[in-house]
Amino acid sequence: MTSRPELHQQYDIIASLQPALHVPQNCNYENPDSLFRALMHPPHDVGGQHDVPVYYEEKEEEEWELNTYVTCEVLGWKGIWSAEERRRRADNDLGYTLYLGMPYYGRWIWSAARMLVDKKHISLTELLDKIAEVKSRHEKK
Amino acid sequence: MADKHSHAGDDHDHKAAPMVEEITDYEVLEIAVRELAIEHGLFTTEDHRKFTEWAESIGPAAGSRLVAKAWTDPAFKARLLKDGTEACKEVGVDWAEPTGVGTPSDYTNFRILEDTPTLHHVIVCTLCSCYPRPLLGMSPEWYRSTNYRRRLVRWPREVLAEFGLILPPEVEIRIEDSNQKCRFMVLPVRPQGTEKWTEQQLAAIVTRDCMIGVALPRPGRTADVHPVHEARRPVHSASEHGKAAE
Amino acid sequence: MKKNETLRTPSTPSRFKVGDRVQVRDMPNMFYTRTQNYVRGVTGTIAACTYKDLIPEDEAFNYDGRLEQYYIIRFRQKDLWEEYPFDNDTLQTEFPDRWLDPLETGQNRKK
Repeated sequence: MTSRPELHQQYDIIASLQPALHVPQNCNYENPDSLFRALMHPPHDVGGQHDVPVYYEEKEEEEWELNTYVTCEVLGWKGIWSAEERRRRADNDLGYTLYLGMPYYGRWIWSAARMLVDKKHISLTELLDKIAEVKSRHEKK
Repeated sequence: MADKHSHAGDDHDHKAAPMVEEITDYEVLEIAVRELAIEHGLFTTEDHRKFTEWAESIGPAAGSRLVAKAWTDPAFKARLLKDGTEACKEVGVDWAEPTGVGTPSDYTNFRILEDTPTLHHVIVCTLCSCYPRPLLGMSPEWYRSTNYRRRLVRWPREVLAEFGLILPPEVEIRIEDSNQKCRFMVLPVRPQGTEKWTEQQLAAIVTRDCMIGVALPRPGRTADVHPVHEARRPVHSASEHGKAAE
Repeated sequence: MKKNETLRTPSTPSRFKVGDRVQVRDMPNMFYTRTQNYVRGVTGTIAACTYKDLIPEDEAFNYDGRLEQYYIIRFRQKDLWEEYPFDNDTLQTEFPDRWLDPLETGQNRKK
C-alpha cells in the first residue's frame, strides 16, 4: 500500500463486503408486531441507531443546492407548503431507500416537486415535459 | 482542535473541481421546479432573489458577536438568557427576516444554552438538521449526516472525542436534541487568558464548532478544521461558512 | 398559510410546569411523528415551557387548529440508555403536551 488514500479506499470497499441474509418476500400474509412497528417507523428517527466513526467532512455548496434551499423556503414563505410538510415528505414519505440513498438537497427538491404535483399546482406531465426540455437545453451541441 | 488535517502544500487527495460539462439530474430537477413555480405564479424571480440574498448574508460571525457580547456585558447576557430571540436584535440579527415573520424553517424561538465549568451543551437534530441559521448560517454537512444524528445522542463522549474534545466525567454533558421549533446555540465558557480582550478579539475565537458544542474556544484557535469536499459547480458569491468573526 | 379545513378547537390546557416529572407516551406510530423512539416510555423532568403551536402530526399534513403547549424535557442519559456509563450526563428534547403523561408521585397523587 503506497498511500494513505489507497488504504482508506480499501477500508471502504472491504466494509461493503458484508454477509447479507436476504429474506425473500412476496406479498407477506402477516407481519409480526415487531416487524410491523419497524415498517411503520418514520425513517427520519435515527437517534440511537448504531453507526461507525467516520471522518466528518465539510462540503462546499453547489449552486443547485442553494437554489433548492431558496426555492423550498420561498414556497413556504408564499404559503404553498410549510417546513413541517417538507420534513414529512423529504424525511419520511420517500421511504428508507431514497432517504438513505439521495443527497440531502436531492430530497428537498424531490419533495418540492412531489408536493407541487400532489397539490395540483402542476401536473406530472408538465413536470416531466419540463425536465425533458431542461435536459435538451443543456445537451452538448 | 489541533490542525490534524492540513491542506497546505501537501499532495493530499483533494478532488480538484473537474471541468463541468454535463448537467446533473438534480440540477435539471431544480431548474424544472423553479421555472414551473415561477410560470405558475407561485413565486417571482424577485422573491427568489431576495431570499437568496438573505441566505448568502448569514454566517457564524453573528453568533460569534453574540457570544463575545454575552461574555463582556453581564446585563446583555441576562437579557439573552431571558429572551434569546429578542436579544439577537442587539447583534443585528432579526429572526423575523427576511419575510417579516421568520423563515419557514428556522422560526422565531431562539434559546441560548449556557455552559458552565460543570455543564457542557452539544446540539443535534436527530430527526432532520434543524439549525439556528440566522446566527450561524448554513449547517455543516456532518451535522446533517445520519451518522452524527444517530450517534451523538447515545455516544456523545465518543463523538466529541472524534472532534478532539474530551471532558472529564464530572462535567455534565447535556445533549440538546432540537426536534421542534426551538432553535439553539451554545454559549461556551469564556476561556482563561482572555480577561483583557476586546469583543472583537473574543469573537475571533468563537467559531461555529464552539457554538454547536463540538469544540471549546481557546486563545489561538480561530478556525474549525475539517476536510472539505469541493463542489462541481459551487455557489460563486457564497460567504465563507465556518469562519468566526474577524 | 392556506389550509383547506380549519378545526378551531380551543387550545388545550397546559398541564405541566417546570420541575414536573413526566413520562413520554408511546403512542402508535404511523406516517409521521417528531417523538423519537428513544424517549418513549422514559421519565424526565420539565426543564422549560416554550411556546404554543400546532402539533407536528397535524402541521405536517396541513391540518389546522389545535394548538398545544410545548415543553423541553430533560432526561438522564442513564435512563435513556441502559449501557450508558456516565452518571451526570443528560439530554433535552421538546414535545407538545399530548405526548406527555404526568407521573404520579407522592406529591402529585390526589388524596
